Amino acid sequence: MKIAVVVYGSPTGSGAAASAYRYVSAALELGHEITRVFFYGEAVHTATALAAPPQDENDLLSRWQQLGQARELDLVVCIAAALRRGVLDADEARRHEKEACNLAPGFTLSGLGQLTDATLNSDRVITFGG
Amino acid sequence: MQEADKSLLVVVRHGPYQGQLAREALDAVLTAAAFEQPVSLLFMDDGVFQLTPNQDGSAIDAKNLATMLAVLPMYDVDRVYVELDSLNLRAISPESLTLPATPVGGHALRDLFVNNAHLLSF
Amino acid sequence: MNKIEVEGATVELDREGFLRDLHQWSRQVAVELARREQIDLGDEHWEIIDLLRSFYKEYKVSPAMRILVKQAGIKLGREKGSSLHLLRLFPGSPAKVASKIAGLPKPTNCL
Repeated sequence: MKIAVVVYGSPTGSGAAASAYRYVSAALELGHEITRVFFYGEAVHTATALAAPPQDENDLLSRWQQLGQARELDLVVCIAAALRRGVLDADEARRHEKEACNLAPGFTLSGLGQLTDATLNSDRVITFGG
Repeated sequence: MQEADKSLLVVVRHGPYQGQLAREALDAVLTAAAFEQPVSLLFMDDGVFQLTPNQDGSAIDAKNLATMLAVLPMYDVDRVYVELDSLNLRAISPESLTLPATPVGGHALRDLFVNNAHLLSF
Repeated sequence: MNKIEVEGATVELDREGFLRDLHQWSRQVAVELARREQIDLGDEHWEIIDLLRSFYKEYKVSPAMRILVKQAGIKLGREKGSSLHLLRLFPGSPAKVASKIAGLPKPTNCL
């Protein structure tokens, strides 16, 4: 089955972001295809490269990055939601005259059209948080 | 693939000024509509407060959500529903709402969930 | 710092030429912003600028390109409701260029 995953939950303020990760891992294990993971709302904080959690705690960012690389996942962060909350890649930092950028490697900033596209091209859309 | 198979129901369950959720739900709806995808919108739970009249966001430096929701007809989003129980519980009359939303409950509500291929909940 | 001088006042722009303070917009400012885009504003440009500004004033939302095209067709006549018409008036990226000249918020590159 082709599954799109949409995450709204903050990585620290809710369990949604971690649940989404476990769901995606399990779905892949079972042979499903993940068409896209779309990070929206507070979930855009998942993709900041600057989070430094204690070493003995779940490092959600690294886990997404490793899974993304191993399974060639399309990890898309909503650009409008990210700009509002300060998650920027180098291009957007330049465009908006900010001093630094923090989008973690393995993630892409893109528009809400990617969410519409994912719903169109998937059998199921599973939402985490909200 | 048939278009009807990919119709989208967006369910809005949170109040208008609780964080960015209401605004981001509207953006998702407008984007789907701009791509000419069939989209329906259902307001339920505290989401029905988004449709109440005389909102004034200026007191909390927020943009008026009702003003922005009024753009929906311009995007040809005319399938707008509101859950009847949520209105009743909050003593809001369907006639007072800022958008022409169809009150639904019971079977009509169930059909809405059954007849749309995808659901996005905000 | 990017800036333009309009009728004795200094108007600050960001690096992409968008107004920093949207309240500073005036028709004379629009003429200057257009000049920076190598556009000489004529009646047909103003029709679109006025359409964009009144849409934004009413809904506080910038219209997506498709909606702008549709509104142009309804309000200005069918022959003007085409993306080619907008592309001719505001070459390159019409929604972005027209928003900039009309003094609307900087688009988020969302669509």
